[in-house]
Amino acid sequence: MSEIDALKLQLESLQSEALAAFSAADSLNDLQALRVSYLGKKGALTEVLKGVGKLPPEDRPVIGKFVNQTKQALAAALDATEAELAVKAKSARIESEKVDVSLPGRSGPKGALHPVQQGLDELTAIFVQMGFDVAEGPEIEDEFHNFDALNIPPEHPARAMHDTFFIKDMRNADGTEPMLLRTHTSPVQIRAMKRFLAEGGEPPLAVVAPGRVYRCDYDVTHSPMFHQVEVFKVDHDVSLSHLKGVLQYFLSAYFEKDVAIRLRPHYFPFTEPSAEVDIGCVFCAGKGCRICKGSGWIEVLGSGMIHPNVLKSVGIDAGEFSGFAFGLGVERMVMLKQGIPDLRLFFENDVRFLSRMGVAK
Amino acid sequence: MKIPFSWLKKHVALAANPDQIADDLVRLGHEVEGVETPRAAVKGVRVGLIESKTAHPDADKLSLLKVNIGEAEPLDIVCGAANMGEGDKVPVATIGTALPGGLKIKKGKIRGEVSCGMCCSEVELGLAEDSDGLLILPADAPVGAEVGEYLELEEAVFDLSITPNRGDCMNVRGIARDLAADAGLPLVEISMADFAVDDAVAVPNVSVSAGADCPVYLARSIQGVNVTDSPDWMQASLIMAGMRPVNGIVDVLNYIMLDLGQPMHAFDADRLTGDIVIRSAMQHEGFAALDGRELKLHAGDLVVSDDASVIALAGIMGSGATGVTGTTTNIVLESAFFRPARVSETRRIYAMVSEASMRFERGVDPAMVGIAMQRATAMIVELFGGKAGDIRQCGDADAINAGRTVDCSVSAIATRLGVDIPPSADDVLARMGFDVKRYGDQLDVTVPSFRHDVSIPEDLSEEYARIIGFDAIPAVLPPLAVTRPARQDRSVHDAVSGGFLQVVTYAFVSADEQRLFVADDGMDIVLENPISDAMSVMRRSPWPGLLNIARYNLNRQQPGVALVEQGRIYARADAGQHNETNTLAWLMVGQAQPDTWYAPARQADFFDLKGAVEAWLSLRGLTGRFIADDAIQGLQAGQSARILVGRTEVGRIGRVDSEIATGFDMDVPVFVAEINLDVLPSGKKAKFASLPEFPGVERDLVFLFDKHTSSDAILNAVKSSAGKFLTNVRVFDLYEGKGVPEGKVSLGIRFTLQDAKRTLTQEDADAASASIIAAMEKRFGASLRG
Ligand SMILES: [Zn+2]
Repeated sequence: MSEIDALKLQLESLQSEALAAFSAADSLNDLQALRVSYLGKKGALTEVLKGVGKLPPEDRPVIGKFVNQTKQALAAALDATEAELAVKAKSARIESEKVDVSLPGRSGPKGALHPVQQGLDELTAIFVQMGFDVAEGPEIEDEFHNFDALNIPPEHPARAMHDTFFIKDMRNADGTEPMLLRTHTSPVQIRAMKRFLAEGGEPPLAVVAPGRVYRCDYDVTHSPMFHQVEVFKVDHDVSLSHLKGVLQYFLSAYFEKDVAIRLRPHYFPFTEPSAEVDIGCVFCAGKGCRICKGSGWIEVLGSGMIHPNVLKSVGIDAGEFSGFAFGLGVERMVMLKQGIPDLRLFFENDVRFLSRMGVAK
Repeated sequence: MKIPFSWLKKHVALAANPDQIADDLVRLGHEVEGVETPRAAVKGVRVGLIESKTAHPDADKLSLLKVNIGEAEPLDIVCGAANMGEGDKVPVATIGTALPGGLKIKKGKIRGEVSCGMCCSEVELGLAEDSDGLLILPADAPVGAEVGEYLELEEAVFDLSITPNRGDCMNVRGIARDLAADAGLPLVEISMADFAVDDAVAVPNVSVSAGADCPVYLARSIQGVNVTDSPDWMQASLIMAGMRPVNGIVDVLNYIMLDLGQPMHAFDADRLTGDIVIRSAMQHEGFAALDGRELKLHAGDLVVSDDASVIALAGIMGSGATGVTGTTTNIVLESAFFRPARVSETRRIYAMVSEASMRFERGVDPAMVGIAMQRATAMIVELFGGKAGDIRQCGDADAINAGRTVDCSVSAIATRLGVDIPPSADDVLARMGFDVKRYGDQLDVTVPSFRHDVSIPEDLSEEYARIIGFDAIPAVLPPLAVTRPARQDRSVHDAVSGGFLQVVTYAFVSADEQRLFVADDGMDIVLENPISDAMSVMRRSPWPGLLNIARYNLNRQQPGVALVEQGRIYARADAGQHNETNTLAWLMVGQAQPDTWYAPARQADFFDLKGAVEAWLSLRGLTGRFIADDAIQGLQAGQSARILVGRTEVGRIGRVDSEIATGFDMDVPVFVAEINLDVLPSGKKAKFASLPEFPGVERDLVFLFDKHTSSDAILNAVKSSAGKFLTNVRVFDLYEGKGVPEGKVSLGIRFTLQDAKRTLTQEDADAASASIIAAMEKRFGASLRG
């Protein structure tokens, strides 16, 4: 056997031995060791190449080519095995890192807005979007703003109906009247109009005034403190039909569906004409149920055209301007929208109630 | 006010049924709170004419009747009664009728004879408790007619809520007037039985010295009455209207008041001394009222008095001593108009309400003062006998409220309502008693004397709105302004997003609760008329309210709560003023974190709440400084602090004193905080600054400090000693215990240096470290830990 044939034979057996070793490797580390042991500077192939020097010069290119082919075959096999092993290793890792995605995520305690706050936010937002400005006023009021300026003089029977809380030993600025807890948000009408005029404003003026109010009345259906939103607009030629239009828009927006509304003539000292507003019962769609007492209607708020005496009390010319106003009970609106059966739940603040009612739909 | 349907029909021949009338009342502005039906109409019972009557072949006590009920063939009916004969008309319950007692009429055989219905007694129709036989109907009863309709058996009582402006509707006739005008029906004339005035009966001596408060006063004597109970029909009407029968005279006067709206009073003439005077009370004058109360009157109260004493608080209540009883024989009747504001003020002073005062303070119809007097006299004389004298009259009713006119334009009213005013509406207004004249756009309206509530064009607009109907007014959106919305207050929303449940508590607390966190400095705002002692003082701290809610929930098996509330606190200020301060308050107690698969449960501590407050401040671009303060009332020393933003004190935080917590049934640490939203500076919107390009170096240094050294002071010392490259410094480790000497803590500080112009070197870091170590040594005696 010639030298060259012996070398060829050696290379062939090296190649088949290597390929067997590669496919037996079961880790990238093993494979890397094999790569070194066959193709490294001191590897098996290099050893074989050392024999090439002993060949006659004319045979060297032939065997050189053969060596290169072997080298390439081994390198290719190494790369392929390496890719295969990498895929295997990744799947093994993925398998080992598997988690139970149904376990709850890490989180802190969950907060919730009180349902009254949600109601206030929603109601106020509707009016802000309609171009009404937000105003607030004091809760400890004088009789002028809570009653007189709203066309409720002292001897007026409506005053007695307000169940007013009075403050002990506290009187208004000129010392003539006792101070009280406001019984409605209507005094904000007076304060907002006065402020507006004092700042040089001219109607139109459109205001939404949310806030706490107080009545000396405490039973299943009455809370001594509750929340109202007062809404009013003063401009040239404001009419009862504008009031009706705003009510229709806002009630449908709040209840997120087209609600039927009904205005009933009523009496409030600060509006003329006055109307109580009913909506088609949201529980029975107007068919009549226990909650609407079979009538198909639910009373939601009081409204009317601002009485000229109220405009006069702040110095607005009632001949030139007119306005509408209405006030609504926030708790009542929230009860109707969310089906809350009992007013007392709002003030008990049971965290189970708060958590549940705080969840968005 | 309760108004029976049958009573209404005495004033107007209403064709509609009670349900329709209820709807009409609502539309006209009279809120119907309920409709009671004390008697339903019996349906299927018809007027029958007995055409023949023969004996039952097999039963002595039964008769065989042929009864004509207006149909082709007469009915065969077997009947057990004896009081009827041929030609009588009787109620016949036809087959299928359900009688009030529950009996349902079926076709059947009685002792072998067919019976197709039943002849009824008053008992069977539910009209009486017992009877002697069949109800024999009047001879002119129309054969075949429904007996319920013929006898007007149906009754309904409307429970109305009359608005305070409509004093004219606090009586049956007033309501009837509105319904009649609306339906286009005439109002029945007020009927009046005749009676003879006996000149022998002396006219009472009456004088009025307070004419402004009592513009007209009528008095009349009736002698020799025999006071018995009022008739059954009147008692029944009074009871349905919600009044208790008392005695004949009182019942008649109550009936007249409910019927016509004029309250009247009767005095027992034999208990009066001398003349009657209507005058202002003297200060501290005594009055023994009918309801048993002994009043000390105020000067200015309007009273009716005789020569001896006050016999009535005018328009409100008579005296106990001079009232009419069952033994009274001589009476003096009073009918008057008292000024509404006078009655209102007086009855408020004494917290006294009567049916009379409710009507006088809303204003009665001056035109009715005389009519009521005549009608009452006629009824009393008719029912209880006696001789009526002539009327003594002081003042002139015609002058009160007469001829008030409202001039306005049709177009102004149309503009106010947003709807046209058709001339047909004028007709309805006229039927309501107004005198309406229209000249083109000009409207001249004379208001009837009973409508005290109409005086300006806007009042008329309301009348037209009622007449046209609110349903007919179109819904039109007004032109809407575009405004720049103010920035929304997100205070509580941000706190909630930090994991807190928002609560809403009452603004009033008990005086004891107030004292837990606020000293008694005389600046409390106290209610004059609280619901209870527990709700008697306006809160000056939000914490008692939160503690109560925490207790409520912990008592219901909650392992812990995190609460937040936004609301005002209230206190007196100088010069009679007061402050209402918008406040945000937090409370944490119990478990801050429950057991989970990744971590054990953890109880809330000071730093849970502090972290929440810091996060909340940070959302508004603010950083708080927490200054230890051992003197905050109600908080535990060593775990409480004032919160400052810049130089402004904005709030407080700390652990609730354990005794206070125990007082709220909580034996675990409770943490509270509050922020005064009114003084909190508004954070500045961040301005852009370029981000550093060169990497920084970070170093850790661990020192041994004396225990209780403030980390704030340490970090400040680091900041002032580390040099200009310091960008960040924080405490990364805190340890005491094994390996740390007693009285010391091991505190790790991590700081970062960075420069905008170059990459910093280890030499830069070494220099800063050395400087910090020196400062810690010098300032705190702290040594670097090996
Ligand atoms: Zn319903």
